Amino acid sequence: MAEWQDPHALTEGEFLDEVHSFEFWFGAVEGYLHDRPYGYDPETEDIEMDDRRKDGLITTLCNYCVGETAALEASSGMIGFAPDRASQIFLSTQVADEGRHLEVLLHRLTMLGVRDPKREIEARANRSLLRFKERLLEFVDGHDWEAAVFAQNVILECLEFTVFRNHAQNADPITKQILQGIVIDERRHMGFGENDLGRRLILAPHMHDRLDRIKRELDSLVLTTFKQTLGELGLEGDDAPDLASDYLGAVARLGFGT
Amino acid sequence: MNDTLISQAAGEDRPRQMYVLEETGFKEVPKKFRRFYRKWGGPMDTLAPNEVLCPVCKIVIRSLQELRAGDKVYCMPCMSRLIVEEEDGMLVAKVNY
Repeated sequence: MAEWQDPHALTEGEFLDEVHSFEFWFGAVEGYLHDRPYGYDPETEDIEMDDRRKDGLITTLCNYCVGETAALEASSGMIGFAPDRASQIFLSTQVADEGRHLEVLLHRLTMLGVRDPKREIEARANRSLLRFKERLLEFVDGHDWEAAVFAQNVILECLEFTVFRNHAQNADPITKQILQGIVIDERRHMGFGENDLGRRLILAPHMHDRLDRIKRELDSLVLTTFKQTLGELGLEGDDAPDLASDYLGAVARLGFGT
Repeated sequence: MNDTLISQAAGEDRPRQMYVLEETGFKEVPKKFRRFYRKWGGPMDTLAPNEVLCPVCKIVIRSLQELRAGDKVYCMPCMSRLIVEEEDGMLVAKVNY
């Protein structure tokens, strides 16, 4: 078997079959998760945190758990009404990713001394994010593919991608590794969403207005949550990362205004 | 990234430069595709003639040949199909849904 293969020589059909497959997923995650139980190198030493920093991190991780739970429940539900086999198979890899994200984040919470993560998440969950989750699951319950993909794989995944990437740059060494692993997974999830919707909008441009209304309803809920997250992490003021940049880029490519 | 250049010629109609791609430590796709991608180093990162930045996921896509406007490339880390375009004298990748 050849040592390497030129991906750009694939036909579009071959490319889509490849990247949506479980085989591709196995080969990808093996590269960055092997020998990293719970998402980090076990040789990494945890650092001492003062109470304020630790409390801010716990609140942040609790809200990440809310987002990951929303994505886990939604992506698993979407398999049942996905439009084709390739999307079903891809979503099954996304379910595995989201379940892993939830597990590693819960594990990190226990490392930080949280004895009852479920109760802590309920106590610290941001209301805007809970409202977003509720609406996302309504789309899933209604078998509304376009709305569910837009809410989950474009809005939620793009914003998580940006927030986790920026948080990782300023995080303690263990949280940093955990977030970097999640960010790599998020690339696939948001790319799937943007490309799926992009193809659909070309074939059915009348969907645009409905998705635009959903965007206007939901993106502020997630943006509000993650702006608060930055505050909890102490990333505020002039040095605060532009949370909306990746998201706005994605929706602009899909033809939506800001 | 400085991959080994294996052919070069001058002039407008010159043949494309060809490259031997080296591993870059990128591990986010299966092994057989890894040398075709690398992490982006941010705004100060210089792209080689056989490289273009994915606008969706900010990974550098690499080719065996010098890229030119109209070329089709794939970003496997985010599953995007892209077309290379020239913009302000620079090559950029645009998503081709």
